[in-house]
Amino acid sequence: MDIPYTVHARPDTGLYNAKVGIWLFLASEVMLFGGLFSSYIFLRVGADYPWPVHELNVTLGCINTVVLIASSVSVVWAWAALKMRQFGLYKGLMLFTVLCAVTFMVNKTFEYKAKFEHYAVKLTDGTILTGHLPHGYQIKFGEVNQLAMSIPLKTAAVGADPINYVLNHLDAGATPRFKTEDGKEITLDAATFAELKSAAIEKAKVAKQNTAGLKLTAVSPLSFTVGESDVFAYDASTMTFRDGTVAYGKLADDKMTIEVDGVDTRGVAVKEKSLAFDHRYLGEAWQKAFVANRDHLTVEFDKNYPTRDKTKSATFQKEAYFLHLESTTPPAAEGHGNGHGAEAHAPAAHGDGHGGHHPTVVLEKKDITFFSNFTPKLNTYYAIYFTLTGLHGLHVVAGALVLAYFLFFNGKMMREDPEHLANRVEVGGLFWHFVDLVWIFLFPLLYLL
Amino acid sequence: MSDHVDPAELQKHVKKYIFIGLLLIFFTAVTVALSYVELPTHSLNIIVGMIVATFKAALVALIFMHLNHERPLIYKVLAFTAVFCFVLFVLFVMANSDPLVDHGFEKPLQSIEQATP
Repeated sequence: MDIPYTVHARPDTGLYNAKVGIWLFLASEVMLFGGLFSSYIFLRVGADYPWPVHELNVTLGCINTVVLIASSVSVVWAWAALKMRQFGLYKGLMLFTVLCAVTFMVNKTFEYKAKFEHYAVKLTDGTILTGHLPHGYQIKFGEVNQLAMSIPLKTAAVGADPINYVLNHLDAGATPRFKTEDGKEITLDAATFAELKSAAIEKAKVAKQNTAGLKLTAVSPLSFTVGESDVFAYDASTMTFRDGTVAYGKLADDKMTIEVDGVDTRGVAVKEKSLAFDHRYLGEAWQKAFVANRDHLTVEFDKNYPTRDKTKSATFQKEAYFLHLESTTPPAAEGHGNGHGAEAHAPAAHGDGHGGHHPTVVLEKKDITFFSNFTPKLNTYYAIYFTLTGLHGLHVVAGALVLAYFLFFNGKMMREDPEHLANRVEVGGLFWHFVDLVWIFLFPLLYLL
Repeated sequence: MSDHVDPAELQKHVKKYIFIGLLLIFFTAVTVALSYVELPTHSLNIIVGMIVATFKAALVALIFMHLNHERPLIYKVLAFTAVFCFVLFVLFVMANSDPLVDHGFEKPLQSIEQATP
């Protein structure tokens, strides 16, 4: 059975059916993105932090805009070529469109990756340090002589599982030799743990307890290196792993090493007294660089805009109070280029686009209130950024798949019923133009304004 | 679009599509450049940026998506969407107004001002 009105228009609507279909779909898509743009406005108006402007990679965003515009031209041109029966030109233009979509997604991947690897650390006084964590954030816990586990007899969310939650954080080279409560010496592995566990459960059942306890004493002291998300809690002498196992030992190091590429003091009451310029951290030299940069920009601003209020200029606030660090040591007092320090650290390769070296700072745990990479967890801007661009990216992929299908699998239709294929391309193209149209709003809203 | 299109006419359309594409790229450059200009308030930057973006979007919708000459049915479908979107953006205005303050039932701001000498 043939689907009616795929080629010629239905008399009452004056349209072939697929076109009515795609417009109904696009109408619902407009409402979907409209809802998200509306939430963007709400989040931006309600933000309790300076909304990021020019914080994303504008060059990549610009390239992607041009790529999408070019593909929009090529898809509508491909449709016209098919109408004129220029099959070679049609195929070339469709291929170009699909390649544009691939380019767009590759660029997007680079952008996302840079954000995943970049961190923001909020200090107790409101300063935000941005930079890279070369080893992630790790807690070192040493001199561990005892592990205490509890095994619930009834179903529970957490039950001791030291093989998967504790031993994999053991520092390299150590063997997990332990003494059990009855003095037997064992190497802890899956088999011995299962044995110990069933014995402990038997004992607890006899004693009519709800949980079985298990204590292992280390034969020689052990040390662990654990990511921040792998522990529930820790203090100077105990560390609770995610399976509830408690290790008794000594906290060796819970400092965060960060290669600082930015100091945002906009949330600090007295900007130049920011904790970042403490002698333990960036120190006086960077503080001087910060003050010099601020004073220079203040003079510039007063000269250029004598009637305007500095506190109301988001740009001034950002440039004067958000210092970008582009060398390991501060640039010379007068110049504001990036004079590279003599004692440059080993270059750290990070795909952030900034390049260069950054000073390394070791932060104490007590000074940190919050840290995150540049993902939805960080703030509402990144939440809406990833939601909007993620959904838009899915549309790019879907559109590219449809257009690629027309190109690679509809060869027979092209030769035998080109008018039908032209209608398909027109419908696919309408969707593609819509994807471009959404990006036309996304690019300025997220990258520029 | 009607069923039968004259090839010479289509050839003219293609030229128009390329021209519009170049125009869109030009306006992208304008948007980027304008975003670095310090207007009296940042809201003005946003308004100007959105006007340019709306103009670009209109070009795409009217020329590439052929909305400048479509059948009435499509405009009827889109009318519903337009109303819905209008309400979505008016929501924000409504959320920004406080019925108690706006209708004079309470005057919290003034009482704060009186309290602080």
